[in-house]
Amino acid sequence: MPPDAPLLEFHDVSVAYGGRPEIWNVDLTIDRACLFGIIGPNGAGKSTLLKAALGLVPLVGGSVRFHGEPIDRVRRDVGYVPQRETVDWDFPVTVMDVVLMGTYARLGWFRRPGSREQTLARESLARVGLADLATRQIGRLSGGQQQRVFLARALAQDAGIYLLDEPMAGVDAASQEQIFAVLTELRAADKLVVVVHHDLRTAAAWFDRVALIDRRLVAAGPTAAVLTPDNLRRTYAGEIDLLQEVGQAIAARGRTE
Amino acid sequence: MLATTTIVADLVRQLAGDRVRVESLMAAGVDPHSYKATPRDADRLAAADLVVASGLGLEGKLAELLTRLGRRGHVVTVTEQLPEEDLLSVGGGRFDPHVWFDCGLWKRCVPTVAEALVKLDPAGAEEIRARAAAFVAALDEVDAQVRGRLAAIPDGRRVLVTAHDAFQYFGRAYGIEVVGVQGTNTESEAGLGDINRLVDLLVEREIPVVFLETSVSDRNVRALLEGAAARGHEVQLGGRLYSDALGGPGSGAETLAGALLANVDTIVAGLGGSLVAGRP
Amino acid sequence: MTGTWLPYNTLVVAAGVAAVGLAAGVVGSFTLLRKRPLVGDAAAHATLAGVAGAFLVSGRRDLPMLLAGALAAAVAGLAALVLIRRFTKTRDDAATALVVGVGFGAGIVLVSGITARGIPDGAGLETFLLGHTAALTAADATLLAAVSIAAVAVVLLILKEATLVAFDAEFAAATGWPVTLIDLVLVTLVAVMVVVGLPAAGAVLVTALVVIPPLAARQWTERVTTMLVLAGGFGLTAAVAGVAVTSRVPGLATGPVVVLAAAAIFAVSLVFAPRRGLLARRQEARRGRAAEEHRP
Repeated sequence: MPPDAPLLEFHDVSVAYGGRPEIWNVDLTIDRACLFGIIGPNGAGKSTLLKAALGLVPLVGGSVRFHGEPIDRVRRDVGYVPQRETVDWDFPVTVMDVVLMGTYARLGWFRRPGSREQTLARESLARVGLADLATRQIGRLSGGQQQRVFLARALAQDAGIYLLDEPMAGVDAASQEQIFAVLTELRAADKLVVVVHHDLRTAAAWFDRVALIDRRLVAAGPTAAVLTPDNLRRTYAGEIDLLQEVGQAIAARGRTE
Repeated sequence: MLATTTIVADLVRQLAGDRVRVESLMAAGVDPHSYKATPRDADRLAAADLVVASGLGLEGKLAELLTRLGRRGHVVTVTEQLPEEDLLSVGGGRFDPHVWFDCGLWKRCVPTVAEALVKLDPAGAEEIRARAAAFVAALDEVDAQVRGRLAAIPDGRRVLVTAHDAFQYFGRAYGIEVVGVQGTNTESEAGLGDINRLVDLLVEREIPVVFLETSVSDRNVRALLEGAAARGHEVQLGGRLYSDALGGPGSGAETLAGALLANVDTIVAGLGGSLVAGRP
Repeated sequence: MTGTWLPYNTLVVAAGVAAVGLAAGVVGSFTLLRKRPLVGDAAAHATLAGVAGAFLVSGRRDLPMLLAGALAAAVAGLAALVLIRRFTKTRDDAATALVVGVGFGAGIVLVSGITARGIPDGAGLETFLLGHTAALTAADATLLAAVSIAAVAVVLLILKEATLVAFDAEFAAATGWPVTLIDLVLVTLVAVMVVVGLPAAGAVLVTALVVIPPLAARQWTERVTTMLVLAGGFGLTAAVAGVAVTSRVPGLATGPVVVLAAAAIFAVSLVFAPRRGLLARRQEARRGRAAEEHRP
């Protein structure tokens, strides 16, 4: 691993679905552990950017590197929290079963999770506050609980970089706070946490650095520097009220730092 | 002229001689119960001067096609003039179609074909009628031979077990009890209950031989053998009988007479003679 | 050992069909969880092309040869399904219909070509698809049992991988699992079960055994392993019940009765299962309404 390689680097990344461009020419470098937000309007390609990093969608141009390596070499070190809609929650598995899935990659083929994996899974569940729901079938959880299960699964991966796709979408406020607390812990443990996020107000309050995406990279860097009225106008053309609230949030944060 | 089965083709050839070219739609070894016509077959049938069918539901899958052709006066059904009281019923208003192994019954199909041939070829009327009479006489001769040879089977052994029920008329005419694994139509699958019942029959009556057929699969018969063997009763395979089709060229069974006599020899060898020599 | 109470043929058929029922239930559970229950249908219809092709190539009506052809065609058809799903936007049901149509259509063309040319022994190849359940020999039953055990063993071996892919294929891919490969393995198991089950129950009936017992099992449990056990058990029970009934009654084909037994098990499961059953749901709805009404 090259000594000075950034944690995560998007170099001239372009993705197209069936001829339609989703994102193009995105150059983004994250070189230190932090809470990094990817912000933008609906359909801006934020999730696509994450999936491109994980190799889940093909790139028509550019490359993504983790510590200078392609994703296939470092999958063990990248935790993933996909959107909740990607699974059928009626599936016959319990909370514990799902969290254990985070340990599968390290186990490899054919081996069953043992006590080591069970312990890791239980610890992960405790961190997200779901320890006593371990045996519940996942369909009988609230949205916030489901989101936390996915987070616990990623924690069980025991990775150095975490990619989360809209983890706060449709989640009650209490769960959101809980999730955010876990993310802060991760950052304190010197992990990089990249979050695709939909809500500008909380984005302004939560993230150290952000990237504004509208199919292209509009701006990236420290939150206050990026979420300027000018940038926001360029990205969210037409959502004026929102901009005012955001401005206030930034100002509030500036006062407490 | 196009006959549906090889057996019917034989009948027509015997009567028509060289005057008409006769072809068989189905080849030797083909099962007429399940035969489906291809578009080429349909063309051939439509193009023939006359189509001769066996009837009584034997050509199950060709029924619609034959009915359509029949409306144009194009089709002769060999068995159409046989009176119902002489036929064996299989329930539901239908009859067993395997009439050809009863010489007495088959010869009563001759006039039907003869008349159709004469209508088609009036110039040859005399020859056709002469050949018809000769064929009837030949059938009588074969009939006598069959009876003679079958007499070699002792009374307690006159049970014929075959793959499907194609020999009921044969059995009725010549005094043999006949049991088929599948019913009169090979389209119906043999049930486990039927197999069990037959194994019981084989064991209780100590039947030593069962027979395969040229146009029907061996699977059911082999299952019977295993079942009987498991109960300590060894059953032999008696050879392959011609049931719904004649033999190919060179087999000696290209004509009905040939096939019938070949069958009889096979049956006699299995039930009456060499295979069971030494048993009390 | 066997007498008239438990006839030998009944025992042999029961063993063979029970093995198929068990394995079909287990393998079919994953196609159901993966939301592709019609995969067995696609495999079964493709086998006709394989059987006809094998016959043409070998010139003989040799059972192992025909089954090999059937297997090749089934695997090809299912691989096509997996790849269509992977590389195009075609929906699963449309893709299945495509494979069924092409496979079966090709099969019919080949079979009628064979009968038209009067190739000896070529008649009735399509009846291969119907099965001769009652005529299973000991050798047949042994083969069925061996393949069934092997199929179940493979499923147990990759239980966690298959569950992961069925539940969250995206996460599986993200964490480095070869999703397409695992799909292909599961789909090949279905193909093998269908092909091996051809003589026992016929193609159409095997696909019923791949779909119905898992559906019934799903009603009773929220754990994957329990579902596998139940599905296998239901498949086996249906097989034994079907064989038992047709063993005594003449004139009933065994295969269809087995499927009817499976359907009966499903009907009971649909109505009476706790929590997911219709009765249970109605009770819960009633309790919910009562609670609503009693709120202050």
